[in-house]
Order: sequence, then C-alpha cells, then structure tokens
Amino acid sequence: MADIALDRPAAASREGASAWSRLRTSRGWLGLWFMAPAALILLLFLAFPLVKGIWLSFTDTRIGRGGAFVGLENYEWLWDDSVFWLSVFNTLLYTAIASVAKFGIGLYLALLLNKRLPFKALIRSIVLIPFVVPTVLSALAFWWIFDSQFSIISWSLRHLGLLDHNIDFLGDPTWARTCVIFANIWRGVPFIAITLLAGLQTVSPSLYEAATIDGATPWQNFRHITFPLLTPIIAVVMTFSVLFTFTDFQLIWAMTRGGPVNATHLMATLSYQRGILSGSLGEGAAIATAMVPFLMLAIMISWFGLQNRKWQSG
Amino acid sequence: MTSFDRRSILKGGAALGLASAAGLDGFARAWAQENQWKPEAGASLKLLRWKRFIPSEDEAFMRLVDAFTKATGVPVSVTSESFDDIQPKASVAANTGQGPDMVWGLYSFPALFPSKCLEVGDVADYLGKKYGGWVPAAEAYGKVKGKWIAIPMAFNGGYINYRISSVKKAGFDKVPEDLDGFLELCRAMKKNNTPCGFALGHATGDGNSWAHWALWAHDAYLVDANEKIVINSPETAKALEYVKNLYQTFIPGTVSWNDSSNNKAFLSGDLHLTNNGISIYATAKTERKDIAEDMDHAVYPVGKSGKPTEFQLAFPILAYTYTKAPNACKAFMAFALEAQNYNAWLEASQGYLCHPLNAYANNPIWTADPKNKVFREASTRTLAAGGLAPVSEKVAAVLADFVVIDMFAAYCTGRDDAKGAIRTAERQAQRIFRSS
Amino acid sequence: MAETTADHSEGMAYLDTLPRRIVTVYIPLIIILVVLLFPFYWMALTAIKPDEQLIDMDTYNPFWVVSPTLKHISKLLFETQYPVWLWNTMFVSVAATILSLFASVLAAYAIVRIRYKGAALVGGAIFLAYLVPPSILFIPLATIIQAYGLFDSPLALILVYPTILIPFSTWLLMGYFKTIPYELEECALIDGAGRWQILTKIILPLAVPGLISAGIFSLTLCWNEFIYALTFLSSTPNKTVPVAVVSEFVDGDIYRWGSLMAGALVGSLPLVILYSFFVEHYVSAMTGAVKE
Repeated sequence: MADIALDRPAAASREGASAWSRLRTSRGWLGLWFMAPAALILLLFLAFPLVKGIWLSFTDTRIGRGGAFVGLENYEWLWDDSVFWLSVFNTLLYTAIASVAKFGIGLYLALLLNKRLPFKALIRSIVLIPFVVPTVLSALAFWWIFDSQFSIISWSLRHLGLLDHNIDFLGDPTWARTCVIFANIWRGVPFIAITLLAGLQTVSPSLYEAATIDGATPWQNFRHITFPLLTPIIAVVMTFSVLFTFTDFQLIWAMTRGGPVNATHLMATLSYQRGILSGSLGEGAAIATAMVPFLMLAIMISWFGLQNRKWQSG
Repeated sequence: MTSFDRRSILKGGAALGLASAAGLDGFARAWAQENQWKPEAGASLKLLRWKRFIPSEDEAFMRLVDAFTKATGVPVSVTSESFDDIQPKASVAANTGQGPDMVWGLYSFPALFPSKCLEVGDVADYLGKKYGGWVPAAEAYGKVKGKWIAIPMAFNGGYINYRISSVKKAGFDKVPEDLDGFLELCRAMKKNNTPCGFALGHATGDGNSWAHWALWAHDAYLVDANEKIVINSPETAKALEYVKNLYQTFIPGTVSWNDSSNNKAFLSGDLHLTNNGISIYATAKTERKDIAEDMDHAVYPVGKSGKPTEFQLAFPILAYTYTKAPNACKAFMAFALEAQNYNAWLEASQGYLCHPLNAYANNPIWTADPKNKVFREASTRTLAAGGLAPVSEKVAAVLADFVVIDMFAAYCTGRDDAKGAIRTAERQAQRIFRSS
Repeated sequence: MAETTADHSEGMAYLDTLPRRIVTVYIPLIIILVVLLFPFYWMALTAIKPDEQLIDMDTYNPFWVVSPTLKHISKLLFETQYPVWLWNTMFVSVAATILSLFASVLAAYAIVRIRYKGAALVGGAIFLAYLVPPSILFIPLATIIQAYGLFDSPLALILVYPTILIPFSTWLLMGYFKTIPYELEECALIDGAGRWQILTKIILPLAVPGLISAGIFSLTLCWNEFIYALTFLSSTPNKTVPVAVVSEFVDGDIYRWGSLMAGALVGSLPLVILYSFFVEHYVSAMTGAVKE
C-alpha cells in the first residue's frame, strides 16, 4: 500500500470525492469487464450447451441424425416408464442417505479433528486422501472390495466364522445400494469434514469459556454456539454436496453400471445409457433435463435455509 | 502330454508368424500395385478399434497396419478403447463430423448412424467374390437397407467354457446339446459344488450373448421380421422359466457380473462352466496351466427349432463419410482381409476372432488345438443382433439398454413375476421401436 | 454421543481425563481413519501383489503380500506412456486452474466490491452453474469443441474444466474478499489507484491463502475429472491419468489389477504430496473464506 502512495504522488492530491464519483459512474462498466472472463467461459461452455441440451429433449434426435421437434413426446414416454421412475427413486434415495450421512460423519469428524491432537497436520492430510485419489479408480477398488467372489469383506467374515457364504454385495438390490452409497460417503466425507473444520476454527474459544462459566452443558454449547455459527458454511457445503451426489456418475458407472436390474441406476447414468450408448440423444437429454427441477429445489432449500438462519443468528 | 503338444504348436505358430511377417511386406508392395482403390495423395488415416482381448491378436493387427503403411505410404494411427467406450466415441464422431476416419467396433453400431457411413459395397463385392462369399450373419451386419455400410472384419465366438473333470464328475461325457440335458448338467454340477454361472448384470458381451441365446432357443423374440413387438408370448414365459431354473444352479453373485467377472472366477477355480470367448483359455495357457489342461469349449445347446440360435459378437469396421481419404479407407479394409494378411492375423488371435468369409474356414488355427475347434463355427451359427429383425439402430439400442438381460434378471431374482418382467421388456421395446 | 460431540473447546481440555479422551476422541477417530484409509491400503497392496496371489485367497492371506513385486509399477513407468499421461494431467490441471482462478478473482472482486447493478443476481447465477451435470452437457459440448477444432486437444479440457471450477472458486474468494477491510481500498482509491492496481497490489497479496485454497481445490477436481476427458480426448498420448489407466489396463475382459491400482496410486501421489504441504494452509484459508 505504501508504495502505491509513493508511486502516485500526483493522484494523492486530487479530491477524494471526485475519485468516488468517477468510480460510481463507471461501476457498471467496470463490473462488466471484471465479469467478462468468467461469464464468457460459463456462457460458451455451460449455458449454451445447456440450452442446446434442453432443446434436444424436445426433439427425437438420435446420434448422427438431426431430429425433428416432437414436443413433449420424450417426456410422455418417460412418464409411464417404470425404469425411469426407478432411477428417480434411486437418485433421491442415494442423494438423501448419502448427503445426510456425509453431513453427520463429516461434522463429527470435524469436531474430532478440532481437538488437541498429536500429528494434527498428518491426520488432516490422511483424511483428505479419499478426496484426492481419482474417483473412477477408487470406485474400481471398491468394485474389487465388493466383488461377488473375491470380496475381502466376505473373506474376512468367513474366516472369522461369522458367515458360511459370500455376501452378494453388488448382486442384491439392497446390498448394492448400500455399497454405492457407502462408496459415495467415503469419497465425500473428507471434503465436508475439512471445510467444516475450517468453519469450526472461526468460532472463538472465549464464547465457550463464557458459556461454560454460565453453566452450559457441552450439548448446549454445541446447540447454541457452534451450530448457529456454523450454519452458513453448512448450507453452502451441503448444497455442493447434494448437487455432486445428485449428479453422480463415475462411481455408479465403475461399480455397477446401474445394475442389478437397474436397482442402482441414477438419473445421470440412465441418461448416459439411453442418450449415448443406445443413441437416443433426445431421450437422454430429457432424462437429464428432468434432473433440473429436483436440483432447483435442493438449491432453493439450502439457499433460503442459509438466508433465514443468518438472519436469525443476527 | 497335451502340454507338450500345445507348446510345440505355439512355437510353430510363432515361427509361422515371423515368416509371414517377413513375407508380408513383399506381398503388400505387390498388392499396392494392383489395388483398385488408390489412396489419395498425402492421405493419412486415424483408426479407432476396440481394446484387445488377446495381446498377440493386437500385435498381429499392428504388423498388418505397418505393412499397409509401407506398401501404400499411408500412415495409420491406431488408438483403442474398451468395448463400452467405443460406441459412444464412434457416435460422437458421427455426430460432430470429426474424429477418426475409421472405427472398428462391435455389433451393429454402424446401424446407429447409417447415413454417416461410407458406402463400401465395392470392397464387400471384391472380397466376397475372392474368398468364397460372406457368411449370412456378416451380410446382415454389413448391410443396412441393402447397402453395405461396414465391412464385418471378424466375429468373436463366445461358447460354453467348462472344466472337463467337473463335467465328468457330474456324470456327463460332454456338454449336452439340448436344453433339458444342459439344465440337468448344471444341476448336477451345482450338487457337486462345482457350479456354473452366466452374467446377469450389465455385461455388454457375455451377458447379451447368452441371454439372447436363451430367449431365441425357445423361439421367443423381442420383435419379428417386420419389427412388430412379439416378446409377450408363451415362448418368452418358457424361456424365463428355463433361465430361472438355470439361475438356481449358478454360483452366487452373477447378477452383478460384468464381462470380466466370469474370467476371474473361472481362472480362480471357483467357477466350472460359463460362456466366454477364448480369452479365458488364452490366459489360462500362460497363467494357470492346470486349468488350461482341464478345460474345453462346447457349443450352446440347440433349442426346439433344431437350429442354432447363438448370438456372437460381430466386429464391423466402418469409414465415415467425412473422411478426406475414402479410397485409403477402402484400400485398408480390402488389404486387411486378403488371405496373406488375414490368415496370419486369425492365427495370432488364437481363436478369439472368427472369419466372416467362407474361405477362411481352413485356417490352421481351427485344427491346431482341438480346444479351438468350436470357435470356427461362430460366424455361421450366429443370428444377427436383431434375431429375426434386420440390424438397425433400434436393435443396437435394445442391446445397449440391456432389455433382454434385465428381463431375465428381474424374473430370476424375484424382483418381478414373469408377467411383470415381460411387460417391462415390452414397454422398453415399444419405446425403442416406437417410430417404426 | 451428543455429549461428546460438543466437547471441542481446547480451552477446556484440562477437564478431560486421558481414559475419557481415549474413548471419546481417539477410538472414534481411529475407526474413521481406518475406514477412510482401507481402500487406499487395498490399492497399494494390489499394486505390489503378484498376479497369482490376487485371486488365490486360500493359499495367501489377502490382507498381506508374500514376496511383493515392483513389476506393476516399473511396467507402468517404463513400458507404457504413463509419464506422458501424468504430464498431460498436470499440464491440463494447472492451466485450467490458473484460468479459472483468474476468472474467479475478477468475478468475485466485482461481485463483492464493485457491487454493480445486478451483482447479487450474477452471483446467484454463477452459483446456479452447478445445476448442470456434465452428463447432460457432454454431447452438446462435444459439438462445440469440434466446431472450434479443439477435439483431442488438451485445450478443450483447459477451456471446459473452468465451468466446474469457477462457481466454487468464486464463492470461496467472495467470502475471502469480504474479510479484507474496506478502508484499505478506500485509501488507495483516494490516492488515485485504479481498480486493477487495487486488485493486484492490495487485495491479491492479502488473499494469497484464499487463492491457495481455491487453487488446490480446483487442481483436485481437474485431476480427477473423467467424463469430459473420456469424451474429448481420443489418442493415447493425449490422455489424462484416470482415463488412460482405465482404458489401457483393461484388456477386454481381463482387468490388469496390479497396473490399474499402481496407476491410481502413482497418479494420486503428486496431489497427496501437495496436500501434505498445504493442508494447514487449506484449512486456514477456508477459515478465512467462511468467516463472514
């Protein structure tokens, strides 16, 4: 700062008011210039393809052949397609359970990591490892861990004498859902924990000391100090988490391909299967577009949740 | 004893490979002189192929590509993608008009975008005349609406892989060739704790091929020759019943299997009968010699109609209309299927690939090892992807959507009753075939 | 559990006895760490296990390895184009990260400090950018990439990845910029400095932790991205690590487990090293960002 002042002795003599007015008048333009790079990238590579995708969902386009406008036909076919509704159900189930569990475990882990611990830095980097390993490869490792014949879990249980057969991890619908949700939680917890840990560190210890002197129990401490102060960051992190979970693709694709009998098909994987693998771009785009309302809802909830809580906690 | 035989055969095969590699260039140069498709000046080709199953097949293919480049001066860069990724890649290229000049993929993928494929009728005629004609399935895969849009370079036979000792122990000399006998065998094997297993998960290759065999063997089809949906039939119900009985003899976990699962289980010794290409045997020969000794291959049982209803993988190659070097593409296709090249390549594939042209039935690979023998029939015993219906983008969609496997899996696992499973499949078929 | 979770104040640690800490802190922490690390251990183990031990669980204890082999790793490094893929991944990730940091810094600054008309709206719109799953975008995007002649070029990924990175980075930096006192800027404005100078000379030096945090996050996302890389790159020497490992080490229906897992491990190593250096930074930068 000091060197700016030195660099511009002439400017310093001008009146502050004029500098402000100059700025105020040009604010719109300045904003535009500053926004340009981000806006350009997002418009070109996100908004434009998105609009194109939505348009595709109203056509009968197939790969390699342009389609004609067919109105809502794709949606009508989806409306009484049991596989589609199963994928909607799976997606909601997957998102709901994985998000809640990620949040619970993430918060718990963050609270643990916030304590006085030996090898703090080491432990924190270890925690982040699942986040760092390329997802598709860790999903392959999970696929191997949950293999129907060579599962290490089945093997251990058998050798401990707890089981006399292998668990059909990815062949039984309930197990398969449990496994992919587990893998998703495994992958998602570190990021949430580290971000919430960052949030926890903004809470001043003096608040707790004061509360404890007033006779607050640890639970009251958490409920009335930690949680309210953490709410904004929770809202943001959970919004991201819900979105990432809802649109998940790689994990399912590498582990189950949507099987057994579509029990783990998510909307994203079904959209890929129908749109790309079987070539009905229009229908694939319709499934993908059908995700948007759900995502909107999720965003609205967390967004308004955030505003609301912020206002409450002053 | 057998091991000695095989080793000597392998050695012989390798020597043959070397000799033909040396001879290949000379042949290639002479061929280039007479070639009727003169490559465009300065042409270069990009070729996308499926990721190899048998390393030696890949090496032989690359030798062939090198010989082509030396003879014609056209450089060819080859990239490979896994089975599941090749179709999306080919589709994206077709859609955007950019990417590889040629794609060598599987099943009926050219039918997904027939208008983007270079017409190759002249190449097909040339090869057909020279090499004893195309097998019917090859014609079905290469032609859409009477026009050749792809050259079916090869088929891949998937057959019953079994452990000889386990079948013997179950009281059978060989794998029965009728449906009931086959079920008996599987039941007996289950009793002996040497179970069989077929993929009921989303396995593009193994899953689709056995599920369609089971359906067709009961004279049940998804659609008839006019693309009318006929899955809702008593025959289908019988097929479901049969597969459910079969499923009860399976090793646990088959509902989650993909293409690699049965290889792994077979090579570990847990699985004693499954359907697969020759890749299990090829791997066993180098890694599990004891299993290689004790395994053999058999054809799929034949159903009520008395005719084989197998469903084998086809590998057609296409060139895109957007290529700047259509002649070079055609030249490459013709070159690859010339006897001097194709025979060596077929041999190097150790039986994994099966010829689409009748003349290659005499290739020594089919007699070199008695365990290779059944794979010779793959291209003549198979129906095309649609069963009765012509190969089309819709048929390709049925495979990609796993309509038939899911129907069987839903019933076998008890997720749905027979009616419900058939209705779901019918509904999917209506969706896919709706515009016809 | 409720009682123990709230026990987080360092100032009150003296109230804890050691056995109590073992039960409430160390045991749960160790359980979570073991679960988080086990798949990683499993990958590492598979990477050094000779093939025949992999599916023979009766002779060999699967939790351990007898006569480990470096075959898979050396094969990876010396017989495949792995170093090239690693370099591609690094190049693409770093370039995309720099590009999105550049765009995010400007955008975040504009939204927070210039506060032009509609800034809040634009902020919301950027946030909404996350609505769009790559699985719907990649076919239309492929057309666009082709139209610009970027197919099979790393530039395609460098331009597309920022769409995933900008929303989060912008949000993170917005939070960070808010913590920098206004007075500093006002002084500089009065001194006649332009917005650009204020940004580069005042704001950015103060926001370095925030930049590191956003940068590491972006780098990780790029490093792990799969669908776009799978679609937009086709030739083997151009591929990134996740795509190349999966496509090169699966031979049809035979998975080369050793090489796959060795590829995954070696591919994550640079990031693990990066994190071990910067994790404290990362946390404290996030702390800065989330403080409002």
